Amino acid sequence: MAIITCQSLFLKRGKTEVLKNFSLEIKQKTITAIVGANGSGKSTLISVLAGDLEPDSGAVKVLNRDPAQCSLSELADVRSVVLQDQNFWLAFTVREVIEMGQDQQSLARVDEVMAELGLTEIAAQSVLTLSGGQAQRVSIARALVRDTPIYLFDEPFASQDRQSRARLVSIFSKLRDEGKTIVIVAHLADGDLDWCDHVIEKLA
Amino acid sequence: MKKIYLLAASLPLLILLALSIGATQVDQVWSTIFAFDFTSSELENQIIWEIRAPRVIAAVIIGAILGIAGSLSQAATNNPLADPALLGTTAGAAAGVVIGVATNLISLNSIAAVVAAAIGAMLATLLTFSLSRSALQLIIMGISVSALLTAVVGIAISLIERPDLRSITFWSLGSLALVGPSDLVTLSIVAIIIFILALVLAPQLDLLSLGDNSVRHIGRDPQRIRLLAFLALSVAIAASVSTVGTIAFLALAAPHIARFIVGPRQRKLLIASAVIGSLILLIADTAARSIAPPQELPIGLLIAIFAAPLLILALKRGQMQWR
Repeated sequence: MAIITCQSLFLKRGKTEVLKNFSLEIKQKTITAIVGANGSGKSTLISVLAGDLEPDSGAVKVLNRDPAQCSLSELADVRSVVLQDQNFWLAFTVREVIEMGQDQQSLARVDEVMAELGLTEIAAQSVLTLSGGQAQRVSIARALVRDTPIYLFDEPFASQDRQSRARLVSIFSKLRDEGKTIVIVAHLADGDLDWCDHVIEKLA
Repeated sequence: MKKIYLLAASLPLLILLALSIGATQVDQVWSTIFAFDFTSSELENQIIWEIRAPRVIAAVIIGAILGIAGSLSQAATNNPLADPALLGTTAGAAAGVVIGVATNLISLNSIAAVVAAAIGAMLATLLTFSLSRSALQLIIMGISVSALLTAVVGIAISLIERPDLRSITFWSLGSLALVGPSDLVTLSIVAIIIFILALVLAPQLDLLSLGDNSVRHIGRDPQRIRLLAFLALSVAIAASVSTVGTIAFLALAAPHIARFIVGPRQRKLLIASAVIGSLILLIADTAARSIAPPQELPIGLLIAIFAAPLLILALKRGQMQWR
């Protein structure tokens, strides 16, 4: 069953047509990777699926609803999102950042998720001292503690070393086996994507 | 946080000290103070309780208000450079009062003056924010909005020349000399309201530091949090500007000094920032009125003398509090 569909999306940012008659169907309980060159509109697509951006024309359905018509709290029940551009500017600890604004149910999962992502040892460390890959995993942890049917990740492997990448792959696979739907934006340079159920090439 | 409680505990001592110091030498000053005789018609009692006390208490309250306002400015805009003066909030408040008084809609030292100042402050803050697309733009737009409104205030006062509009110096440099007992009631009420509102908002302001998208993605509206913070900020600055004019720098310095002591969490930061703001303004104002009597030094100079070294120290030693 399709949980996410896009039909002939068009979206302009400035003068560039980032999405041009783009259609997509993502089945429930799968891992889908969207790959393509820089500037091919992958991140824009994630923002559209997340409900952050509205296409100029075309239809988007996420769990049978148009994300642009949903309230922020309705969207939050449907999907968790991790974008690329996380910049921390205050010296909160890793744990503080992961727990910020989360509900009780999510808070209960923080320790488990930190362990899975290899963040337990740096839980009390300031986020300003983290490497790019660590900071990215903190953002990923904020999404993973939440229990939603859909997870959207924009380039989760961008600055991860081999070990962290393997960790993420096993986490994503486990989530899929639990019945979640996962969409990631990836680079072909991220290595083999055989572990994904579908790989969609997004051409510019 | 213990350090902050210790600093807060030093406030009563400093208040007593501030009561004992002033342009007029009061004989047997300590026995006069400790008699706590507020109604006596003796000159010494009147100097201490009717002249010095309102001003000392106003310094404590306004210092706290400015500390909270500074903390709210930085949190609401995610910008360590933001303060009410740079956001245009302060100039907006001054413009609100001056326009209100000039058009005979309100008079100074009234609740209506605070309301007019709050409206001006809120509009100016929203204007700055809506014009800005980045952290640096926020500063440039804020300086521009602020310059524009300061000019409006200056020109209006020069053209109209009415004593109840007060002087350009008052609006641009600030002074606690004109605070009266009736102002203390308004100031206390405002201080309590914005302190509670800021404390309630604190966890959401922490969340806001992760960026608007992170807030939206867990189902909250970042603009709503920001608007509430701007509202509290505007009311805070309105109360301060309408009673003592523009007091610069303190709202920028207090949150940074506080963050160095208690870290970034907004709930602690607000309390610490309020305490630091109170201490600095009380010390600065006491010095301003007693260093070269009968002349009063501009309050801004003394705030700078005390706060700037502390700010520099806090930034140098607490480098990793923010980036």
